[in-house]
Amino acid sequence: MNASETGERMSRRERMTRPRTIPEAHGLSGGSIRLTQQEADPIGAITVSPIVAVGAILALVLSIGLTIAHWGEVSSPLAAVLAILFVAGAGFAAARWASPARAPFTADRLWFVVTLAVGATIAEYVSTIGANRYLYDDFGPLVVGMLILSLAPYCTWKSLVAVGLVASAVLSILIVGGSAYVVTGAPTLALVVVGAAPLLSMSAAAAAYSYSVVFETLAWHREANRAVLQHDAELRSGLAHSGAPSGVSVLRREVLPFLAGVMTADRVSLADADRARELAEALRRELRAGIESTWLDDLAARLSATSDVSTTVVDPMGAAVDLREDQRSVLAALILWLGDAGRARSIRASFTTVGDHGCIVVDAELGDQVATKREIDRFVAVARAAALGAEAQSTHEQVRVQLTYRLGD
Amino acid sequence: MTLGLPGDLARATLSRSLARAGHAAAFVALGIAIVLALLVAATGYSPAGWSAAGLVTGMAALLFLVARYPTVLFTTVYLVVGTGIVFAITTLVMNTDVFESTNNVVLALPCLALMLVGGAGAGSVNAIVWATLGYALGEGALLLGALTVGAEFMPSFAATAAFVILVVVRSFDGLSRRRNARGTTGLHDAGRQSHELAIRREYELLAIARLHDTALGHLIAISAAGSGPVDERLRSGIREDLGLIIGRDWATEPEPEPAPGAAREQASAPANAPAPANASAREPAAPAAAHAPATVRDTYPPLRHALAAARNVGLEVRITGDLDVLHALDLTRARAVDEAVAQCLVNVARHAQVAEADVALGIGGGEVTVAVMDTGVGFDVHDVPLDRIGLRTSIRARIEQVQGSVRLWSTKGIGTTIVITVPEGDA
Repeated sequence: MNASETGERMSRRERMTRPRTIPEAHGLSGGSIRLTQQEADPIGAITVSPIVAVGAILALVLSIGLTIAHWGEVSSPLAAVLAILFVAGAGFAAARWASPARAPFTADRLWFVVTLAVGATIAEYVSTIGANRYLYDDFGPLVVGMLILSLAPYCTWKSLVAVGLVASAVLSILIVGGSAYVVTGAPTLALVVVGAAPLLSMSAAAAAYSYSVVFETLAWHREANRAVLQHDAELRSGLAHSGAPSGVSVLRREVLPFLAGVMTADRVSLADADRARELAEALRRELRAGIESTWLDDLAARLSATSDVSTTVVDPMGAAVDLREDQRSVLAALILWLGDAGRARSIRASFTTVGDHGCIVVDAELGDQVATKREIDRFVAVARAAALGAEAQSTHEQVRVQLTYRLGD
Repeated sequence: MTLGLPGDLARATLSRSLARAGHAAAFVALGIAIVLALLVAATGYSPAGWSAAGLVTGMAALLFLVARYPTVLFTTVYLVVGTGIVFAITTLVMNTDVFESTNNVVLALPCLALMLVGGAGAGSVNAIVWATLGYALGEGALLLGALTVGAEFMPSFAATAAFVILVVVRSFDGLSRRRNARGTTGLHDAGRQSHELAIRREYELLAIARLHDTALGHLIAISAAGSGPVDERLRSGIREDLGLIIGRDWATEPEPEPAPGAAREQASAPANAPAPANASAREPAAPAAAHAPATVRDTYPPLRHALAAARNVGLEVRITGDLDVLHALDLTRARAVDEAVAQCLVNVARHAQVAEADVALGIGGGEVTVAVMDTGVGFDVHDVPLDRIGLRTSIRARIEQVQGSVRLWSTKGIGTTIVITVPEGDA
């Protein structure tokens, strides 16, 4: 390996260990929040994923209950049933797409779910057309609002506001259409305002939640970045003074007296020449080993040393260095989790490159404690939030997690 | 992506975010109530709308205070005053014959805002307690208002549904945190570990690369030369670089190239210069400063005796490396090194027949290394004269007493190098 290649590999490493600065913590520039909780706090989003199913069930129960309650106003039972089916479909789609195994939940999915829910609202309107005496007992706005609210951890505050406003606009058209039959006789505009109230309130709640949790998470992240920068400086300084034996310190202890001896000798002996050759070769070997191994090799060595888990890394190109810091965290978390508490007997992480994509396959031979699919799905979801394509396959004996990423990102 | 919130911060953050979500919904509900009241008043549908709008505006102002300052006092004031406002609005609304009972959308709006108070303190239990109070007070105000005007009372369906949703969400939030999913994945610990490992790996690589750059050429030259006299250019090259090998933090970036002519002055400490001033001038750049016990730093300037001794005997001392690495030693070891180096420098002045010596300092591998080099007349290390007792007692014995070691190379006509190595920390 020539000097320029060495320099390039080393500068790659230096970039990778440099904590991201504030502008690089994307999503917090110019005072705008463009991230979702799912991106800013992936574990938090995974933790709340069951709430989507709860919201979907509540929405379905509500739609059935209110349909029964105002059954006297229903002129088209088919449309009423269709409305409930739409609610069920919207709830099912929301819960399914929000599950960690299908992360990330995208804005397209939000619009699809809300479209289905608005479809339920339209079907409900059709079912009571000409006989809807009170807007207050209509489930449409409540159902749409509840679904938007339950999906707040997966959407940006802007998309939540937008979807809420668009759904309110559709709802307003329906209210205007049915205002003639409402018994209160209130002004149509007042009816529109009243009818949209639940939907607007819940959309506002969803947007405020999304904004607040992302804002606070990023604010914490900025503080954490500062702390990391300070910690890095201390760590580097500590490494210089560290008593821990390392290849370079051992080698230096040998090179230093040898050169000092030669410097103050009048002659070089054959033994000195041989020793110089050995030391030169040892230096080259150490440099080569340093370049070819990465933080992941060290992690694997540490895991193998502290547990009975045999951990192997196959990374001939040193691709682990190219992973982003959050991607490194996900990979390290997965390996450490598999290696903890007897979950795996052996772990093997292999890196390959296909075109402009890198691929990491983590294979684990499972131990006594079973790693459940649900637990592995958490890592899959977090990996996806870190711009890693992630797929997991598991049997009782083995787990395979495949992570893909774009090179150069 | 960020790694997200650590578990200990998640509770407060999510609790605040849920409270803000509730406040946002409450503000929208109150805003809609105000617009509605103004609409019915302006269109002549219900003149009571003007009063209702005023009352709801007051409630919104109080809610703003709670949102801004979530204290027990403001929360209590909001709940008490809000209850009164809901009661007043109930009497206004139910005095008209528009609605059959108190279960209507107009009264639901302020009830909803009362229930979504958020309140003081963090955590699901606090939030549920405040919400329960708000809900109960709102329903109580509806009941009282209905009784006052003789209208039919029915609990507000919208407020009840919102209350159920809030309890479900808050309960879920509390329970899911107890399961500690954040801790289970160990994402933060793994992130910290991988980051530190990457830094260690980078450090090691830079250090070995720089040792490689510095020493490899000399090693190759020695091995290629085979047996024979040491080439003077090689000797002077090693002498130049030995200071670097000893007196350098291996993985730090090289400092910017100083102006021509300034380099040597920066690295040298003329013996006739006041030693403390020289030492203090180096303090800002000291990597070891953070680890230095304040007492040693304050009471014992590095190499105080050695530099004074050199000054007394008229020896110019060129220093390579950072004097402050000696602050990594405790007072006993720092003194032992100082005295040993002083003896070395005195020996150079007395016996080496040169007017200058090099001192290189470095730290690494848990050791502080100091090398004293001269290009003087040298001597046979196997035949040290009796009068050179200082080497045995003042240098070797002193350093070995503090668990250090001394290595010496000397050749007649070439010079002498003494390398003193002392472990960091306490003796």
